[in-house]
Amino acid sequence: MDHRFQVSLRGVIDLLSHHLYSSPGVYVRELLQNATDALRARQQLEPGASGSVGLELREKQDGGPPTLLFTDEGVGLTEEEIHRFLATIGESSKREVLEARRNDFIGQFGIGLLSCFMVCDELLVVTRSARGDGRTLEWRGRHDGTYDVRVSEHPLDAPGTHVYLVAREDMAEWFTPERVRQLARHYGGLLPFPVRLTVNGATEQLNPDGPPWRRLYETAGEKRQALLAYGREVFGTDFLDVIPLRSAAGDVDGVAFVLPASPHFNAKQKHRVYLKHMLLSESAENLLPEWAFFVKCVVNANGLRPTASRESFYEDTVLSQAREALGQSLRQYLMDLAREEPRALQRLIALHGLSVKGLALDDDDFYRLVIDWLPFETSLGMMTLADYRRSWPVVRYTPTMDGFRQVARVAAAQGLCVLNAAYTHDTALLEKLPHVVSDAQVSAFSSADLPQTFEELTLDEREAIYPLLRLAEGVLAPFRCGVEVKKFFPAEVPTLYSSDAEGAFRRDAARAKEESDDLYAGVLDGVMAGAGGGEQAQLCLNLHNPVVRRLAAVESRELLKVSVEMLYVQALLLGQHPLNAQEMALLNHGLLGLIAARLDEGGGSSGPGSRGMH
Amino acid sequence: MGDWRQQVEALREQAEGLPEGDAKVRTLEEAVRLADTHGDVPLGYALRDGLIDAATFGGFPDKALVAFAWCRGQQKKDPQRFDPEDMLWKQKWVVGRLDEFPHISRKQIADALDDVEQSFAKLDAGQRAALKLRYQMARDMGDTAEAERLWEAWLVAPRDHLTDCRVCELDDELDHHVDRGEWEQAVKKAKPILDGRQSCAEIPHLTLGTLLYPFFKLNRLEEARACHVRGYAMVAKNREFLATVGEHLEFLALTGNLSRGLTVLEKHLGWALEHSSHRDRFTFYAAGSFLLGQVTADGREEVSLRLPKAFPLHAVDGGYATRALRDWMETQARDIAARFDARNGTARFMELLARNEVLAKEARLFPLD
Repeated sequence: MDHRFQVSLRGVIDLLSHHLYSSPGVYVRELLQNATDALRARQQLEPGASGSVGLELREKQDGGPPTLLFTDEGVGLTEEEIHRFLATIGESSKREVLEARRNDFIGQFGIGLLSCFMVCDELLVVTRSARGDGRTLEWRGRHDGTYDVRVSEHPLDAPGTHVYLVAREDMAEWFTPERVRQLARHYGGLLPFPVRLTVNGATEQLNPDGPPWRRLYETAGEKRQALLAYGREVFGTDFLDVIPLRSAAGDVDGVAFVLPASPHFNAKQKHRVYLKHMLLSESAENLLPEWAFFVKCVVNANGLRPTASRESFYEDTVLSQAREALGQSLRQYLMDLAREEPRALQRLIALHGLSVKGLALDDDDFYRLVIDWLPFETSLGMMTLADYRRSWPVVRYTPTMDGFRQVARVAAAQGLCVLNAAYTHDTALLEKLPHVVSDAQVSAFSSADLPQTFEELTLDEREAIYPLLRLAEGVLAPFRCGVEVKKFFPAEVPTLYSSDAEGAFRRDAARAKEESDDLYAGVLDGVMAGAGGGEQAQLCLNLHNPVVRRLAAVESRELLKVSVEMLYVQALLLGQHPLNAQEMALLNHGLLGLIAARLDEGGGSSGPGSRGMH
Repeated sequence: MGDWRQQVEALREQAEGLPEGDAKVRTLEEAVRLADTHGDVPLGYALRDGLIDAATFGGFPDKALVAFAWCRGQQKKDPQRFDPEDMLWKQKWVVGRLDEFPHISRKQIADALDDVEQSFAKLDAGQRAALKLRYQMARDMGDTAEAERLWEAWLVAPRDHLTDCRVCELDDELDHHVDRGEWEQAVKKAKPILDGRQSCAEIPHLTLGTLLYPFFKLNRLEEARACHVRGYAMVAKNREFLATVGEHLEFLALTGNLSRGLTVLEKHLGWALEHSSHRDRFTFYAAGSFLLGQVTADGREEVSLRLPKAFPLHAVDGGYATRALRDWMETQARDIAARFDARNGTARFMELLARNEVLAKEARLFPLD
């Protein structure tokens, strides 16, 4: 014959309290949930029925642990339901089954009650069903897993359920008036049924006003102040502004609060979410579109499905429609700002530029409205895109920080405005410009493009510089670097070294190969063989520079060679390109040569192997 | 001297605030170059440690490899100062992707795997991690019999501190079932991940892509839709997930969501053009070719797309002949497949490409809009 496992209820409770419930305080949530579900079931049975939930703390005269009486005027339980729901606790450990039961009005009753055993050893449930024979039943359950059911000697006047919890000695701290009030407000503060707490004969309603965003206010200003105060109370933050949220899909409404400081880029904002007016989660994450991380919100949803962990909502079509609609609410706010209060928009961009840019990337209309207001770093200082486009027809930008650093100074000296688009979203935003604004032109810019903006040599200068140019080409060929000569500013800069991103990476790989062992050196060859070729690096000599001018007149090939080598190494170092072994050898060799030449000039004895630069 | 150190610190801080991707990797590279320019080896090592992470999770396996190779050199020169043990975990990441570069030989891959195993053995650990690496390499290179043998060996080896987390291992196990057409099994095993009970840095991002086809085959299209909607949003902003984007592309083509598919294609083609993982490029191009084949079959001879300037067939007015686009994708996929198969000595990639013909027959409408 089949036998049943003997399951220890104590053990199950321990497991649940460690894994399912975040703190013993959730017993209040579970009781509120039970009461709410019972009230809704009653309303379904008797449309128009109203009811309330009561919590009453009864202190013991002898100073022993207090009793909490939890009452509702809901649908109540029949004897059959008591056996079915209260006695088959833990029937399945599968969360899905628990979930399915949660959606059933009374099915989850037992599961919720289980949490009470975290704070008491015995539970008394007195209940009269609206569907039953009018009897009042008593269920007494104990943490050792035993229970009994009998007809109550103290019948209830009307359908409903009373739950008595006698605090366990070591859990009395969860039964103080302050704690119970705080927990009941926390979980049930928005419930549409009155929730009342009675302590020492004095009764107060814990949820007198409903959701603050649905209340009526005299003026818009008053509403704003009240909601900001609510945001401060909920999140402990002084927010900048409030935005109403509404979605027909999922039946969602609430408010979004604009954060007073720039959030960390990948910080997902944690929102407070109520499901059918019961607190579901204080850390729901997937409610808003990804770009909208400039707000934190409080919402109630009547038609979204919670996930098993109850931390967020199940990703289904309804949620994605709701997310879209909530995003629209935020978008509308930003659109209104752009049209009516551009200064406020600029302040918002200064704090939450990433969110604004993120939305602009996804939304062409919004893009058109805000793109001109976005500030960018340029070689000529900070400016908005509108300022830039007023003065320069083509938007030149560098997609990387390194690229910007390489061109900024020289570009500025030529009066050339180059925009730094290395920050998040900037490159994508600029590349979108011609697709959205018909006459706009954009073009990626790198140090390799700079020489085209430089002044050409005269014919005489060309002739004069030719020997130097030929020699320099030969000297730098082994370094995969070409040479050209132009005139540019600032004059004190003798050279400009330029390479594209691939070139810089090739240099990194070559140095790594020098440092690494045979195994990885071979592997790196394999990696680089499959990489793109890229443009050759270029060294552009500046004929405005006095040293370069003098160099053009030097005849000694030996001196020219060392000078070009040193100019090359200097250009690399100035551009913060680390030297490889071969270049390091050039540097050492050149420096020693310089010292030797100085010694020669100063009349020092020249030793064997020294090389002068006469 | 203090000035450049401050600059390095500022770059490091800036990188920390950036999402995984291009900008973060470049910012750290710049910091590394600064340290190298000033000859500060310990700083260069510490910065590369972060660069390997950023490059691995931001879609630049080549850059992770270069940074690791440099560190490896320092470990060999001064193992007291640069302890190889601290980088064993990263070595797993780096070696696990060697097969994605067709120019790296089989011998080099085998040597790198042996090297991993020896490094782990010195610590008397890492057997399970090494076996998984070997299994995945054999699988990716089409060495079916060897993969089968290693699969068994991997799963019975004991866990230790060098083993990947349970969720990542579970995700890797799914591939085996998908390879064998065990759709039910794959979906069932993935349940804890799908329910959101378990996650990791790239899980469920990868898992949701893996399960699209199994759900499609099981005719559980609503679940496939949920995987697509949830999964695509997770991978759409990071080129590390190029191959997973390819899986979403395939799913959209398979279900006749051609317009959505083209939007995904135009958004991510730029990644494929310059991605250093040829395997990920292959997955994307193969899916792109399938999608464009479906668009052609739908009677569309021309499509308007915003493709990047770097695209060889780039048209300023955005008008493209569908067939020409399809042929280009197909050629890219075929070239890569040929190179991989030649290196591996197997036919896996050509077979993967041939799968497009099967998909074309299986396709059926399931509009998401």
